[in-house]
Amino acid sequence: MEPGVNTDMGVAAVALDYDAELMLRVKEGDGISFGVLLEKHRAPVIHFIYRLVQEQAIAEELSQEVFLRVYRSRSSYEPTAKFKTWLFRIATHLALNWLRDEKHERGQERLDDISPDLPVRQVSDRRPSVEQELVYEVKLREVRRAVAALPEKQRAAVLMHKYEEMEYTQIAKVLGCSESAVKSLLFRAYETLRARLAHMGTI
Amino acid sequence: MNCPLASHNPEMLVDYAAGQLNSESRCAFEQHMADCASCRATAAEQAAVWSALDAWEAPALPADFDRRLYGRIDQGARLSWWERLIRPLRPMPLRAVLPLTATAGLLLMAGLLLEHQGPVTPAASSGRVVRAEQVERTLDDLDLLGQFNSASSSESKHSHAL
Repeated sequence: MEPGVNTDMGVAAVALDYDAELMLRVKEGDGISFGVLLEKHRAPVIHFIYRLVQEQAIAEELSQEVFLRVYRSRSSYEPTAKFKTWLFRIATHLALNWLRDEKHERGQERLDDISPDLPVRQVSDRRPSVEQELVYEVKLREVRRAVAALPEKQRAAVLMHKYEEMEYTQIAKVLGCSESAVKSLLFRAYETLRARLAHMGTI
Repeated sequence: MNCPLASHNPEMLVDYAAGQLNSESRCAFEQHMADCASCRATAAEQAAVWSALDAWEAPALPADFDRRLYGRIDQGARLSWWERLIRPLRPMPLRAVLPLTATAGLLLMAGLLLEHQGPVTPAASSGRVVRAEQVERTLDDLDLLGQFNSASSSESKHSHAL
C-alpha cells in the first residue's frame, strides 16, 4: 500500500479472499457458492461494463458471458489473484474486445451516438421541475461523452477506481500493467475529465 | 510539504479527491493548499469532476438476468459433443469466420485435386524402379553388343587376312 494512503481496503481484501474460497467450492461442484458469487458481483460487473460500453443491452449480454466463462472455467480455476481481480479481468477483456470490434465496424468512435438509456433518478422527497430534469440530463450526457472519449485503458481504469474502489495493484493486474503505469493512467484520465467537466460543478 | 504538482507527485491529488489519503497526509496537503493557489484550484476542479461522476447512476439491473444465465448453463450442460466442438466458433465475427472458411475451402480443393491425380502407390514407385533397372540392363546389353561387334569385326578382318 502507498505511504500516506488509507489502509481501509485491507477489509475488502479479506472479503475477496473469501470469494476465492467460494470459487474453489464451485470448482468442487458446489452450485450454491456460484449463486453467492453471482449475487455479490452481478451488479458491479453489469454496471462496470455498462459504463464502459454505454449500451444497456450489450452490457447485459457481455455480463452474461462473463459469468458463463467463470462457470465454465471452474475446473481450471486457481486462486492466483483475488477473485474480483480475475472477474474484472474477464469483464474488461470482453468489453474492450467488443469496443474494438464495434469501433472497427463503424470506423470511428461513437461519441455522438450514445444510447439514451438514462437511469431513472432516485427522488426521495421533492420532485425536480421539468427544467431541472432537462439540465440534469444534458449534464449527464456530457459526463458520459467525456468518459467515452477517454482512451480504452484510461476509461477502464477510471471506472474501476471511481466506482469499484479497486486498489492500484488490482487495477494493474486487471489491465496487465505496472502499478505506477496505473497511477499515471488515472492521473491523465482525471486531468482530461477535469478539462471537460470541471466547469459543470455539482450536478 | 513539497508541492505535489511541482515535485512530480501529481497522483497525490487523485488520492486526495478519492478520499484515500490518511489523516496525516490529508492535513499536510490541506495546509499546503492554503498557500498554493495552483493545487487549490486543481483540487477544487477534481472535486467537481468527482461529483459529476457520482451523479452518473447505472440503470436498474435486468430482472431475468439469473434465469437467463442458468438457462444458458443448463443448455451448455446438454450440448452434444459436436455442438461443444463448434461452440467456440459461434461468437466469432463474420470477418474472422470468412478467412477460416476460405482457408478450409482451399485445403479441400487442394485435397480433391491431389485425389484426382491419383496417389503414388508403392506398386507405381516399384514400377519406376523396374523401368530404371531395365534401362540399365539394356545399356549393359548394348555395351556387350558393342564389344561383341568390335570383337567379331576384328575376327573377320583376321580371317580375311588369312
